[in-house]
Amino acid sequence: MSIVKSVTCPICGCLCDDIELTVENNEVVKVKNGCAICESKFIGYRGEHRIKTPLMRKNGKLVPVSMNEAVHAAAEVLANSTYPILYGWSSTSSEAQRVGVELTEEVGGIMDNTAVVCHGPSILGVQEVGIPTCTLGQIRHRADLIIYWGCDPWSAHPRHLERYTSFTEGRFEKSEWKAYMQKLKAQAGQKKMQSAMRIESGRTQLRPQTCSIPGMPQTMSKDGRKLIVIDVRKTMSAEMADYYIQVEPNKDYELMQALRVLVRDGELDVDKVAGVPVEYLKQVADALVNCEFGVIFFGMGLTQTAGKFRNVEVAISLVRDLNMRTKFSIMPMRGHFNVTGANVVSAWQTGYPYGVDFSLGYPRYNPGETTCMDVLLREENDASLVIAADPGANFPKKAIENMVKHPLIVIDPHMNATSMLGDIVFPSAFVGIEVEGTAYRMDHVPLPLKKVVEPPKGILSDEEILTKILAQVKLIKSKKTAKKAEA
Amino acid sequence: MIVLTPLRKFTFPVNAECINPDVFQGKDTAEIANLTVFEGNKQKKLSELFKIQEDGAESPTITINGDVSEVRRIGVGMKNGEIVINGNVGMHLGEKMAGGKITVNGDACQWAGGSMKKGLIEIHGNAGDYLASPYRGSTAGMKGGKIVVDGDVGSDSGAYLHGGLIKIKGNNVGQFLGFHMSDGVIHVEKNASTRLGANMTGGKIIVSGYVEEVMPSFTIDSVKPKVKVDDTESVAGPFYVFLGDLAEKGTGKLFVSKANNPHLKTYEKFL
Repeated sequence: MSIVKSVTCPICGCLCDDIELTVENNEVVKVKNGCAICESKFIGYRGEHRIKTPLMRKNGKLVPVSMNEAVHAAAEVLANSTYPILYGWSSTSSEAQRVGVELTEEVGGIMDNTAVVCHGPSILGVQEVGIPTCTLGQIRHRADLIIYWGCDPWSAHPRHLERYTSFTEGRFEKSEWKAYMQKLKAQAGQKKMQSAMRIESGRTQLRPQTCSIPGMPQTMSKDGRKLIVIDVRKTMSAEMADYYIQVEPNKDYELMQALRVLVRDGELDVDKVAGVPVEYLKQVADALVNCEFGVIFFGMGLTQTAGKFRNVEVAISLVRDLNMRTKFSIMPMRGHFNVTGANVVSAWQTGYPYGVDFSLGYPRYNPGETTCMDVLLREENDASLVIAADPGANFPKKAIENMVKHPLIVIDPHMNATSMLGDIVFPSAFVGIEVEGTAYRMDHVPLPLKKVVEPPKGILSDEEILTKILAQVKLIKSKKTAKKAEA
Repeated sequence: MIVLTPLRKFTFPVNAECINPDVFQGKDTAEIANLTVFEGNKQKKLSELFKIQEDGAESPTITINGDVSEVRRIGVGMKNGEIVINGNVGMHLGEKMAGGKITVNGDACQWAGGSMKKGLIEIHGNAGDYLASPYRGSTAGMKGGKIVVDGDVGSDSGAYLHGGLIKIKGNNVGQFLGFHMSDGVIHVEKNASTRLGANMTGGKIIVSGYVEEVMPSFTIDSVKPKVKVDDTESVAGPFYVFLGDLAEKGTGKLFVSKANNPHLKTYEKFL
């Protein structure tokens, strides 16, 4: 039995690097410090759905084949295609992503990562107006106002609050945990009083509307770090906020633009914006201006609702305006553990962060034109390679239908929805458990991923599989050019 | 005059920047047939994709007969001449064009007339998103010229408009029309969507039909009986005049028909 300390967790963009694993007989048996998702990955990664050998579809059925045969077939498909898509890249190491860029350039395809259905709009917003940001360490020690906009860290990034924001004990900012506990007690008392009043009046109140009465949020303001949550529904994160703004669905843009006017000491002609009374917004604007260092974290609630990248753009503009009065930063809550790495590697190698098209021989980028989702919906592709992602489970039906019309190569440790649709399937080792590598945290800090156990026999890493395919593609291409020269 | 007819239906995107009167001028059909295009990642000759015919007329006009919705970058940067497309056309039609005329007897895809400087684009069907809008991250929007769309228009059209005129006659216009525009005129003859003129700092948007709501960062200025579209045309109102976008300290003007928008009456108390 051995204990491995300071392991980086390969789940979400938080990349918690304080995990302690107990390893026995090449198996992880105990996880310390991690959240529930982290524990379930480290304990449950060797499930029954693990693929054990390369597979190829013959007569409509996936049958085991040798690694060589699979590599040859995959290379043939890619080298002969006219407009292939190479999609995924977010749950693997930056080393594998680097090989991926070279492979895409070699086959003249499109390299796109999962940002396209996630924080791609954030990147577009940043490209419009720039981004004032910082590292999570800065926020942990100095931020006295935290905003979560359109995201629910309590459920999706469970240790974000505890490691980087409200509940952490920073050098200059105290933890809000104690205050939160007091608040919970006070709210429980409040709820009792409310139910007593309901019984008294004989009326049942269906849903307490937080922002229905101007200037009367059902929240308790505390000393120390302020927490503001803006969401369409009262999430777990919203329960512990100092201010909770329940915005009408798809109205975030209007709300933010109104806040921008208020932060500039302007006046509004309306009484309500996005269902929120302007009086309440004025209080929030005061809190924003009066903090010493604030930060906005935003999620899919901004990037994938009406307005998309314009929402992010206006959020950054709000931060820019606030920086005239105080200090403010903004950061997207990235999902996959290395989706930031996929953007960084792609930008470092090609100049563009996602949706890079190599079909003309040089990298081009224009989301809407060169992004894989749009290409699939316009039915332009003729082959696909999916690695470290599961579009089969979350892409629109029409996109997937078109993806499976043409040869589909899948590289994944699991038999997931995409692997089941694949024509050539490669099993790979788990990055961060069975293979080491580099991953980028949501604040663009690169962290090392550790190898804690040996992969099953014969299972290669994503990087090794890609390198083999790339070598074979190069061989096929050189043969082709030689033939042409002869002719 | 050159007539191009697609030899088959294209499934892969075709990059055909060479379909441009400036490029064709002074070349015979053999030279035009040899021009390079890309279909997906395969380099091809124009004659492999199109039937190329010449008829006697001297003017550098190109006619395309058939569906070319997968053919991109037609007429990019053209300075003079005329292109007529009898069918649907692909993205980036007439991007950065500096003169001449393009007529589309069908629908156009995204970025038609993007960043154009001069000339005229007439689209008799619908136009896609980003009509007259610049490339991602760029603030160099349309500077001059005229775009007329008979049908609907997608979202983010007329973004970063610096000049020129866009006329939209269809029933549906996507959101963020005239985003961050600083000059120029957009005239919507029927209804417009939300987030009209968001972040605009100058110029004017005229909506003769219904608008669901005006951005909260706009303030009402006055009611005007009529408004001028360009030197030759004006539209009769009355119109509510909104100023904005206050979030950008803008002085852009939003003219919204009073008759078709009774729900905006609440603003009248500020007049």
